Amino acid sequence: MIDLYILLGLIVIGYVVGQYLEQRHYRSIKQRERDFIGLATTTSKRPIGKIPDPSRVELVEGACVISVDYFKRFVARLRMFFGGNVRSYETLVDRARREAVLRLKAKCSNADQVINLRIETSSITKGRRNQVGSIEVHAYATAIYI
Amino acid sequence: MKYSPGLPEKNCNVSTEHPLKEFFVLLIGAISILLAVLLLLGLFVDLAVQYIDPKLESELFGSFTSDDESSPNEQEQELQSLLDRLGECIDVGYPVVVRINESDQMNAFAMPGGSIVVLSALLDKVKTENGLAFVLAHELGHFKNRDHLRGLGRSIVLLTISVLLTGANSDISALLTPVYNAEAAQYSQDRESNADAIALHALNCHYGHVGGAAEFFEIIAAPEYDLDWSLTHYFSSHPEAQKRINDLDTLARSQGYAVQ
Repeated sequence: MIDLYILLGLIVIGYVVGQYLEQRHYRSIKQRERDFIGLATTTSKRPIGKIPDPSRVELVEGACVISVDYFKRFVARLRMFFGGNVRSYETLVDRARREAVLRLKAKCSNADQVINLRIETSSITKGRRNQVGSIEVHAYATAIYI
Repeated sequence: MKYSPGLPEKNCNVSTEHPLKEFFVLLIGAISILLAVLLLLGLFVDLAVQYIDPKLESELFGSFTSDDESSPNEQEQELQSLLDRLGECIDVGYPVVVRINESDQMNAFAMPGGSIVVLSALLDKVKTENGLAFVLAHELGHFKNRDHLRGLGRSIVLLTISVLLTGANSDISALLTPVYNAEAAQYSQDRESNADAIALHALNCHYGHVGGAAEFFEIIAAPEYDLDWSLTHYFSSHPEAQKRINDLDTLARSQGYAVQ
């Protein structure tokens, strides 16, 4: 019985704290995305429009590691019995991708544009049992300054 | 080509459904499937038990009883003769041997292969012959209903399911274990009540009255044995002692058994 109470406690703590942190993170992400809206960012290999004489061109990158909470992991493991969309992990990857791109932009906030943006995701706890999953997202691109 | 900045109006990568909804849907789904599987396999065990006759049982489970080859001591001989006399009122179909094991727990078990193990603490506490006779007759009742085999079969099924599905040690199995325990306990409580009824009948047949039958339950219903902790009685394999005393009383009245 005591196992069950511990488990339920972990799930409740995971849910309450996890939801709070996630909402706070989303508010911060949305705010910073609005702040950087003027910085043109594309996946194209060539700049948008003509830039006759760029003053500087550099590689920029941003990375972040985000973990799921106990509640989300528990729901995902239940989901693995039945199959289907693992919805509880959707916000995990979404937040990580957006955070990585925002960190990249923060490194070149004076650039004219950012081109050739690429994003890579890797699982940090791959293959380990009884580990709360966490992912790393790495974004890299070329910043062009006028 | 002109670049026009803007943010997407909505985020399609994240579903808008409340996370708790998925949690409850999945959990209720998992619990109901598990219960259905347990009930079905439980029925298979009950069916299989009917095909294990006493001869096959002693071949299969002979090793359960042959551990203790020493000749019975005086106390065991007394219990054995009481058991044999009660056996005239309950036909189990094969000879049942009684053994005493040293233990500070008050309990007695019906073991596959036809032996009853009585723990010594029970003998220290239950003083009257009628009280002891009820305990022995209750275990004979389990043999008659073949509950000892059902219990073993169900434990094997539960263990297999839980290990196969979730691995021996995961958080999902921690959450689902109470489900199988509750299911098994409910089943077991019904079996215990049936064995009580058989035991009461045997006592009436042997002594002509059922006085002293509830002695064992009266001892464990006493406050110092009361270990009730919120939900535990739903998960307990035996009905609460006070409930069993009341049930025995009701049954004795309805069957017209003399109380003394």
